[in-house]
Amino acid sequence: MNPFEYTRAASRHEAATMAAGGATVIAGGTNLLDLMKLEVMTPERLVDISRLDMDDIETTADGGLRIGAMVRNSDLAAHEIVRSTYPVLSRALLAGASGQLRNKASTGGNLLQRTRCYYFYDTAMPCNKREPGSGCQAIGGATRLHAIFGASDHCIATHPSDMAVALQALDAKVEIENATGDIRTVELESFYRLPGNTPHIETELKPGDLITAVIIPPAKGSRQTYRKVRDRASYAFALVSVAGVIEMSDGKIAHASLAFGGVAHKPWRNAEIEQMLLGEAPSQDLFRRVADTLLRNAEAQGDNAFKIKLLHRTLCAVLTELTEG
Amino acid sequence: MSYTIDSKAVSQEPRPGQCLRTFIRDAGVFGVKKGCDQGDCGACTVWLDGVPVHSCLMPAHRAKDKQVTTVQGLEHDGHLHPVQQAFCDAQAFQCGFCAAGMIMTVAALDEEQRADLPRNLKGNLCRCTGYRAIEDAVHGIRSTDDDIAGAACGASLPNPFTQGIVTGHARYTMDVAVENLLHLKVLRSPHAHARIVSIDQSKARAIPGVVEVFTWEDVPRKLFSSATHEDHLVDPDDMYVLDNVARFVGQRVAAVVAETEAAAEAGCRALQVEYEILPAVFDPVEAMQDGAPILHSKGNEAKGNIFVTIKGEVGNVESGFAEAAVVHEKTYSTSRVQHAHLETHGSIAWRGEDGRLHVRTSTQAPFIAHQKLCYLFGIFPHDLHVFTERVGGGFGGKQEMVSEDLCLMATMKLGRPVKWEFTREEQFIGATTRHQMTTKVKLGAKADGTLTALEVHVVSNTGAYGGHGSETLAASLGSPLSAYRCKNKKADGHAVYTNMIPGGGFRGYGASQSTFAIECAMDDLAEKLGMDGFAIRRKNMIGPDDVIESVWSDPSDVSFGSYGLDECLDLVEAALANGEGLPAPEGNWAEGTGIALSVLESGPPTEHRSGGEMRLLPDGSYHLAVGSTEMGNGSINSHRQIAASILGTRGNNVDIINADTDLTPYDTGTFASTGTVVAGQAVALTAKALHDNIVSYAARITDTPVEDWSLVDDAVMNGNRRIELTELYKIGTEAGHRFDAKRKAYLSPRTIAFNVQGVRLAVHRVTGEVRVLHSVHAADIGRPINPMQCRGQLEGAVAMGYGWALTEHMVYDDHGKMLNPALRNYHIPAFADTPRTKIMFADTHDTIGPLGAKAQGECAINAVAPAVSNALANATGVRFAHLPFSPDRIFDQLSVTA
Ligand SMILES: Cc1cc2nc3c(=O)[nH]c(=O)nc-3n(C[C@H](O)[C@H](O)[C@H](O)COP(=O)(O)OP(=O)(O)OC[C@H]3O[C@@H](n4cnc5c(N)ncnc54)[C@H](O)[C@@H]3O)c2cc1C
Ligand code: SF4
Ligand code: FES
Ligand code: FES
Repeated sequence: MNPFEYTRAASRHEAATMAAGGATVIAGGTNLLDLMKLEVMTPERLVDISRLDMDDIETTADGGLRIGAMVRNSDLAAHEIVRSTYPVLSRALLAGASGQLRNKASTGGNLLQRTRCYYFYDTAMPCNKREPGSGCQAIGGATRLHAIFGASDHCIATHPSDMAVALQALDAKVEIENATGDIRTVELESFYRLPGNTPHIETELKPGDLITAVIIPPAKGSRQTYRKVRDRASYAFALVSVAGVIEMSDGKIAHASLAFGGVAHKPWRNAEIEQMLLGEAPSQDLFRRVADTLLRNAEAQGDNAFKIKLLHRTLCAVLTELTEG
Repeated sequence: MSYTIDSKAVSQEPRPGQCLRTFIRDAGVFGVKKGCDQGDCGACTVWLDGVPVHSCLMPAHRAKDKQVTTVQGLEHDGHLHPVQQAFCDAQAFQCGFCAAGMIMTVAALDEEQRADLPRNLKGNLCRCTGYRAIEDAVHGIRSTDDDIAGAACGASLPNPFTQGIVTGHARYTMDVAVENLLHLKVLRSPHAHARIVSIDQSKARAIPGVVEVFTWEDVPRKLFSSATHEDHLVDPDDMYVLDNVARFVGQRVAAVVAETEAAAEAGCRALQVEYEILPAVFDPVEAMQDGAPILHSKGNEAKGNIFVTIKGEVGNVESGFAEAAVVHEKTYSTSRVQHAHLETHGSIAWRGEDGRLHVRTSTQAPFIAHQKLCYLFGIFPHDLHVFTERVGGGFGGKQEMVSEDLCLMATMKLGRPVKWEFTREEQFIGATTRHQMTTKVKLGAKADGTLTALEVHVVSNTGAYGGHGSETLAASLGSPLSAYRCKNKKADGHAVYTNMIPGGGFRGYGASQSTFAIECAMDDLAEKLGMDGFAIRRKNMIGPDDVIESVWSDPSDVSFGSYGLDECLDLVEAALANGEGLPAPEGNWAEGTGIALSVLESGPPTEHRSGGEMRLLPDGSYHLAVGSTEMGNGSINSHRQIAASILGTRGNNVDIINADTDLTPYDTGTFASTGTVVAGQAVALTAKALHDNIVSYAARITDTPVEDWSLVDDAVMNGNRRIELTELYKIGTEAGHRFDAKRKAYLSPRTIAFNVQGVRLAVHRVTGEVRVLHSVHAADIGRPINPMQCRGQLEGAVAMGYGWALTEHMVYDDHGKMLNPALRNYHIPAFADTPRTKIMFADTHDTIGPLGAKAQGECAINAVAPAVSNALANATGVRFAHLPFSPDRIFDQLSVTA
């Protein structure tokens, strides 16, 4: 690992100012330090935000939840309201990394964790995300973990976070503060970007932007689940995952939000299929049509062709589970 | 004072960019281990203000003004922490390398978390135990027996190094502070096949701290093999310490020695190597074809890339198939997997004050490493000392000399101590793996199921170097075929050079691969005959009166020391039928059951020898020196028990040292299931000789018949007459008598061990996820010297078998580069992935092995993957013939509805 200079920020302003000046923010460090050890990232200056006052979970005026950027993944998963009202979120968190990591990993850091594309981690390989313009070794290479939606000729990586998939299904927003103290909120849907021809730019964050919180509106459905298909039971990144939030009324689907992990550069959502479900009575035929629609534009990259069929089946299974009884 | 480790203030400040793990170790606290340095394994777990974290992913600065607690700081008032005590009582470790971190995680769990271990132990990996013993520790279950004089054999005595392991003080290879230490790092080839045209060292040498660079021009131009066996001729001499041709991605290209690890790494990166890329071949079938790029031109050009071909036939398979009512033919293949022992390879070399060279290393074969090093560097044997202390797992991976040579060479040149510790990535790309083998099986049977012909064709990918290629191939064509009685058997196999990482020894050693194929094929044949898995095996499996024969009819030294295969099969059948295990989960799951058997010789067909030395000490206790290595396989404990039992004393009364070329007699190495049958035999012979020495001395000085005397704990007795050993020692030594003994043991004949695995599982019809519901295993390992330990060995082997079957897979791109060289992407089973396995023993007493015992640690793995495949076939009607069975490989062959 390259040597770095380390500062513990005393205020958000200081952190944002340093970040605007080129320092890299370190929260839990569980992703960043790993990347630094492998020299995928080689920041010279780190600014530590872990002791800034951003670790509260509060209810908002409209009955939603505001989650500070430094709230630990372990605390978030265990939070009373999260467990009762947003179970999809707590399940997604628990489906992820180990306890020791969750004790350190933060909400903001989790959103910003980098892809697990093998080539991104290997500095001997070309990778447009790590080194813009160097090429993409994954294309035509081993693509078992790669995207079936929204990929480009420049990058076909997936976003690895489980938490973000659940947040996406909950219509979360990201609260951002910059060095001048301006605060804005951005829908998660537009917070993340598709790779296009700038895969190294992954979000709407500008230099000096700090994530201060994640805000979730009141839950629109009480039937929630997070289904993650992975190589083993303990921990592994998702091959595919489905976060579902459903409300039923009189035997019909009154609300449906669905987000998909392991399949795109960001947590994937598809408004058309949610629309198709609204007002309908659940049936296998409906689910099949919904899954067909979702996957109509899916594009396999060789090894990951299995994801199309796997996601199709998993979505049908999740919809069945959430609409039963 | 702003840094506090285990309540002690630490004066130094972290270096810029230092992680907490190395900061703690630099402070001399070695109880914090490294299994990955990437947040995957938990070996480095410490508490930060009471909260467990992976210290490898924590900047050391973060610990400022906080309390760091390691396993070394858990004791309170000189008493073990209750969790440390629980780990002792349950013996919740084998090599013990994971224990430090595991204990820290467990000790921080609350009641609710303890109830959900699969989730809460996600962050801690153990490669040895299969986790049952760890679960027992969490629940306060004690597995150890009392240490009673004369009853050591057959008792579940704790590992003699228990205290050190649970307190973090046991010293593994890297756990020593060495002054003036230099660090070695290696640049590895990015190309699968390339000639090194030039290496420009100037930039590397300019890096502050870089002391020396070694390239192929600096090493003795002597060919050798990193594989270790008694007979070095079985492994081909086809590699150099550093070569000017790279034959696989990951091969050593150059070594940089520097004042710090970081400088050595920077030096490696700064080397400018010009390569001439050569055409490469990765698939052994392609490599055998005309026109394939040739890897080695060392006298075997005529054979191309075929390193060795082995064949044989007994009877006549052609007529056997003609006789058959049903013929089954299919190809099965096994994947490339890595041992992933939690302690990576590594060595430290230095020149001692005695002027001699010393190598402290993590090996299964210090004596063979010693020979190879003497040969390579022209060292007079007496001038070199090679030894191990605690070794953190081996599984065959350390039957290989892959780190000692460069360290020693650097020390010889530079005069300073040199250390080289593999990273986890190097462990995956620069060590060895299990040989990938593809096996075609053809079986013929009469309508009643009687086999008429058995034919096997194996292609083994030995990778860039021959190493264990011929011995594993021979093993694959050996015992797995002798498991069945059949008049006509034929086998042939090729071990083929390719530009892949070399294959090495790995628990099960070649036999695992063909057992997978044959055991799957047996079920496929049974299916065609309308028989079940038990019936077809009972009909054909080898019986105690049969000749043990594979495909060669010349005389063999393998024989039945005991026979319990039938009993193992009965035990598994009964256990599967008893209704235990989990019910099938609700939802869209298909359930199925499968079995497989395996047969393994205790010991290799090559020579193998060992020796023991024992002395009675003035205080009436004993000292035992034996050359074999302990790497978590429990041999130290068994050896102590064998000696204690013969000497009528307690295990604790025997102090033992092992695996040290200065301090112990020669031993070929602990591999090929020899720890009990060879080294254990040497110990038994030595103990018996010392026993006879003592009683005959007592008889002599009392002028009584020697038959009347026996050893009872601390004394020698004749009826009521008792002489304390301390007393006898005094009398004897004053009179010039010496109470010591030395004996050697060789391996012949070789006995044979049996294993049967049973699995009931469920597979999710939608996603292809597999859940094991009931896992049972029966073994005939003769008389267990330490039942708890044998159970642990078997559980660990079965767990490894599940990893091989379900989750582990080394993934390569088209250029021969491994894509998942990290424990996060190469999935060894974690707690949640490891089903509990009921272990049962056939009640036999081996007539060949010492005190009725035979091999135990190796063979159990072989039956697991085929049993899983057979259960999957039973559940789904589909034969999955290629490992591993990960969800993406199986789900789309399943139909969503039952
Ligand atoms: C072994 C292992 C297994 C894992 N398994 C899973 C899994 O199965 N599923 C899953 O979802 N995740 C998994 N993870 C990822 C883990 O969840 C992330 O590492 C973690 O959430 C990152 O959080 P952090 O606070 O440590 O981030 P850091 O490492 O501190 O930061 C990550 C990035 O975010 C930036 N950053 C952090 N906070 C802010 C902020 N407030 N404002 C602006 N920028 C910020 C940093 O500059 C950095 O670039 C795994 C990680 C490991 C090491
Ligand atoms: S897919 Fe993206 S992250 Fe992976 S190699 Fe290509 S550019 Fe890099
Ligand atoms: S060494 Fe830290 S988790 Fe493996
Ligand atoms: S005892 Fe757990 S890794 Fe060896």
